[in-house]
Amino acid sequence: MALEFDIMQRPDFSLLSVKLAKGQHVFAEPAAMASMDTSIELKAGFRGGLLGSVGRMFAGESLIVNTFSAPTTGGEVMFAPGPAGDILHYALQGGRIMLQRGAYLANSEGVELSAKWEGARGFFAGQGLVLLQAQGTGDLFFNAYGAVLEFDVKDDLIVDTGYVVAFEETLRYEVTVLPGLGLGSKAKAFFFGGEGLVVRFFGQGKVWVQTRTVHPFLSFIHPYRPKKKDS
Amino acid sequence: MQIEIRNRPSFANLLVRLLKGDRIVAESNAMASMSSSITLRTMWNGGFLGAILRKIFGGESLFVNEFTTASSGELVLTQPLPGDIECIELKGQTLYLQAGAFLACDPTIRLGVSFAGLSSWIGREGLFRLYVRGYGRVWFGAYGGIIVKDIQGEYVVDSGHLVAYEPSIQLRLSLAGSFFSSIFSGEGLVMRLRGPGRIYMQTRSLDGLASWVNSHL
Amino acid sequence: MQAEIQARPSASVAKLTLDTGEMVVCEVGSMIAMSTGFHVATTARQKGSSGLWAGVKRMMSGENFFLNQFTAQRPQQTLLIGPGVAGDVIHHQLHAGSLIVQGSSWLASGPGVTIDATFAGLGKALFSGESVFWVKCTGHGDVFLNSFGAIYEVEVDGTHIVDTGHIVAFEDTLDFRVGKLGDSWIGSFLSGEGLVCHFSGQGKLYCQSHNPPSFGQLLGPMLKPRPA
Repeated sequence: MALEFDIMQRPDFSLLSVKLAKGQHVFAEPAAMASMDTSIELKAGFRGGLLGSVGRMFAGESLIVNTFSAPTTGGEVMFAPGPAGDILHYALQGGRIMLQRGAYLANSEGVELSAKWEGARGFFAGQGLVLLQAQGTGDLFFNAYGAVLEFDVKDDLIVDTGYVVAFEETLRYEVTVLPGLGLGSKAKAFFFGGEGLVVRFFGQGKVWVQTRTVHPFLSFIHPYRPKKKDS
Repeated sequence: MQIEIRNRPSFANLLVRLLKGDRIVAESNAMASMSSSITLRTMWNGGFLGAILRKIFGGESLFVNEFTTASSGELVLTQPLPGDIECIELKGQTLYLQAGAFLACDPTIRLGVSFAGLSSWIGREGLFRLYVRGYGRVWFGAYGGIIVKDIQGEYVVDSGHLVAYEPSIQLRLSLAGSFFSSIFSGEGLVMRLRGPGRIYMQTRSLDGLASWVNSHL
Repeated sequence: MQAEIQARPSASVAKLTLDTGEMVVCEVGSMIAMSTGFHVATTARQKGSSGLWAGVKRMMSGENFFLNQFTAQRPQQTLLIGPGVAGDVIHHQLHAGSLIVQGSSWLASGPGVTIDATFAGLGKALFSGESVFWVKCTGHGDVFLNSFGAIYEVEVDGTHIVDTGHIVAFEDTLDFRVGKLGDSWIGSFLSGEGLVCHFSGQGKLYCQSHNPPSFGQLLGPMLKPRPA
């Protein structure tokens, strides 16, 4: 049974509201719950499928997916991601879609998630693309930092890795460094990211691109962080 | 005095057109730009004692500014966070506000602090509640969009998402799920609210943003 | 070059379409997506101008101002650029005179615009203690500005006061004086307003509705400490 949902306050501070029928479940990333009826039950745990391809995920990535259910009566639960931006719904119908790891917000039963990492040769895990593969039949919700622009690719698109939200499995992709885009060793100390890592897409399919990403934000907020005390 | 909430809901700010004799009180550092014909007077935020309490326990600023003009002028007031601004007309009643939510009010409104109880303190909502009371308009801001909800029974809200609420609402701290689930889910402690009454929620939380940023550091 | 601003007003990006040989200069890190037919170079110096490299060297103490130069090698190449923070992007056409732009609000400009990052007219430490730099844009062509918050224009004819954190850009026909708000330094400090800029004369002033240091000071203490 499909989830009854509503995405409110679009597109800048989108909020996902899910109305669960008795016996239904919705799965969501940690700490995403903003509010809920008291009839909703929360269980933290590991989802089947995630443990399998855990190997390439770097330390610090959370493997926990929370389960929200309404066993006695129905109920409503609202989810808010961390950064400001939009939330999109994708209806999986037996196919597959690739999501940037940070874009995952929630999914219904019937959707299986597994992890993949694609980095450029020579780069450590954590840089490059950390991807989740979602497949099955059901509802998938992903969030973006900023707005989401949809591109219909016909063999000719390069996207900075930080801005990739999701893409259809019909596309082939390659993570490379675009020389000339980054600073290389010039001023690494002042930048988070900025290595010039991009994804080049081949073939045909849809790519969802967000209009903001975390690295420039880290540079912006850097001077306001507390200074580490000398031990 | 004409006041317009511009650029809703993501970067809401107040455009205030003042005529001779008009007065508006605003949070410290709320002024973005103004005509040179506007003058301001700095005052304690909620009276001397109130200001100290609001600062220490509420995280609010010590001072507020009262803007006025001898002729006419324009003033833009804003909040530190991106998000929406709501205007409430109080007719003698009280409204509780989260620290930092207060933006501006008519000079007839009183700003104060009242004891909120240990539950509120442990839930990081503060030991003292910040309130506005009286006859007049109050403008408060949120991080993200504002959702208004009228609660009849009980409702659960993640603490970082509550902006304002009526005094008839009772707050109680609660675990999000079982003990294990509460810790590992990342939800931790939540506020259980009991109505009847109206609450204002924001669609983002600073805690949520900080966690997201920290996960990349 | 054609330009279209998308995803307004809070997550705005500029979609630029360039023909063979056309060029645009953007801040490094602003490229979001692009077609495959561009030549990209990182430069600290803009062709036809001198002194920019010296300017950049002077800023190496923590201020970021590095440029990517995109030149289209084929017709109809699209480039999507955006700033680091939430907010708007606007397209200003420079005809005559200069536009003084707050450093982090400069996003991109066309080849006819000279960018001088050594402009020190307003001083460095203006953003409530955070240092900021200014970019003077002169010439003829496109300038893309971004804001933290919504952008609003003030047509100054007389005087106007702006909190320094809210200045995006202004025409250099305006005189400016950085000072305190009100009559006393204590009043200025206590009011929380700190330093403001008094603009006088006639000219266009671009302001932003939100203030990066106010937001930074709220969020900053909640983050992991940075290495000393």
